[in-house]
Amino acid sequence: MALAALGVSARALRSRSWLLGTWQTQIRDTHQRASLLSFWELIPMRAEPLRKKKKVDPKKDQAVKDRLKKRIRRLEKASQELIPIEDFITPVRLLDKARQRPPVELPFEESERRALLLKKWSLYKHQEHEKERDAIRTMLKSQQEALQELQLMSPELHAEATKRDLSLFPFEREGPDYTPPVSNYQPPEGRYHDITKVYTQVEFKR
Amino acid sequence: MAAPIRQSLFGVAKGRWRFEGLWAGSLGSRSLALAAAPSISGSPWRLLGAVCLQRPPLVSKPLTPLQEEMAALLQQIEVERSLYSDHELRALDEAQQLAKKKADLYDEEGDEQNVLLTQDMEDAWEQKFLQFKPGARITEADKKNDRTSLHRKLDRNLVLLVKEKLGDQDVWMLPQAEWQPGETLRGTAERTLATLSENNLEAKFLGNAPCGHYKFKFPQAMRTESSLGAKIFFFKALLVTGDFSQPRKKGQRVWVCKEELGDYLRPKYLAQVRRFLLD
Repeated sequence: MALAALGVSARALRSRSWLLGTWQTQIRDTHQRASLLSFWELIPMRAEPLRKKKKVDPKKDQAVKDRLKKRIRRLEKASQELIPIEDFITPVRLLDKARQRPPVELPFEESERRALLLKKWSLYKHQEHEKERDAIRTMLKSQQEALQELQLMSPELHAEATKRDLSLFPFEREGPDYTPPVSNYQPPEGRYHDITKVYTQVEFKR
Repeated sequence: MAAPIRQSLFGVAKGRWRFEGLWAGSLGSRSLALAAAPSISGSPWRLLGAVCLQRPPLVSKPLTPLQEEMAALLQQIEVERSLYSDHELRALDEAQQLAKKKADLYDEEGDEQNVLLTQDMEDAWEQKFLQFKPGARITEADKKNDRTSLHRKLDRNLVLLVKEKLGDQDVWMLPQAEWQPGETLRGTAERTLATLSENNLEAKFLGNAPCGHYKFKFPQAMRTESSLGAKIFFFKALLVTGDFSQPRKKGQRVWVCKEELGDYLRPKYLAQVRRFLLD
């Protein structure tokens, strides 16, 4: 009789339950049920919901990694040495008092001559600057006029003329020296020892 | 067609008519030869591209008297404000020692002969310097005033001028060539250089844009429907290496600085060319 009742209840449950899993668990756990027809007792209602551990673990790992990175950064900052600028450091041997020249007292004529020469020089440089500026202005004007004429002649040629010339830069040229190069010059024999100090600064890139 | 041309003639400066007379036969004869190559469709102006090839200076310019004085003054001030160098300290010490030895009447035997005085060192350095013979700033070509040579006037920019026979007259001008459809004007200038030098010269062109232009009208006799005059566009180039091989005709090419341009070029042409030449 119990078996028949069980079969009846099982068929009744089969029609009501829509989850395959719950149906199977219902059949499995039926020995724990209070009554045969109790359906809601089969579904575990009193237990806490299952804690999903997946979210917390990556967060913890990330936090640990960040802390480690912070520590490494602090260490790097502490150990960073700046490259010394040798021009700003006076060598100790030049701080000797014996090195200083006695102050020169200029006679009146000399100081006058210097003042007048400086005035002449400033005037000369001003004139030179004006000449250069005017020359550059004339050159630019001439170029602008030429481009205008070209525009009037043919717009296509003007468009091509106003394109950027990529082969122009980088433009390198050796400047004028005091004397021209000697054709049959024999440089003195010897080896070149390069004693420049090379500093390296270690930089960690994240 | 005659009326508008006459009007334009009235608008033209006085000197131009005379100048155009000189160009008369020149481009007239050329235009007959190149009648098959029109400049720009619809435009009555012929188009020419010219190259202004410059040899940059190899040597610095000599200083003017004012600049010399100023340089001397600056050197003086620098020495006055400086500290003693090792060499000078050594010289001062030796001077002191000599004074001491003179003051002391004892002749101290010692390493007097072994010590190398600063004066001896300076003399040795001077001798070594005199052994070096630097290159001459004023070359032979300067002395002979050989204008076809590139080694003349090493402290100035030299521009290439070419003499061309146009019609019945010889005219000095910057090397030029007629523009052909399908190339840029800079291409025309490069072609001029290549044909002139037979690819011996290496030049760096300074950009795609022309630096100056010159336009003129043909005289009445030479004008036709399609060619009213010509426009020349100049392109700047710097000479990098190379030189002309032995010139076949000596009187045809000349390297000239800005002041000497007046000896060769016509006034109007010269005025336009001087505008874009910096010295």
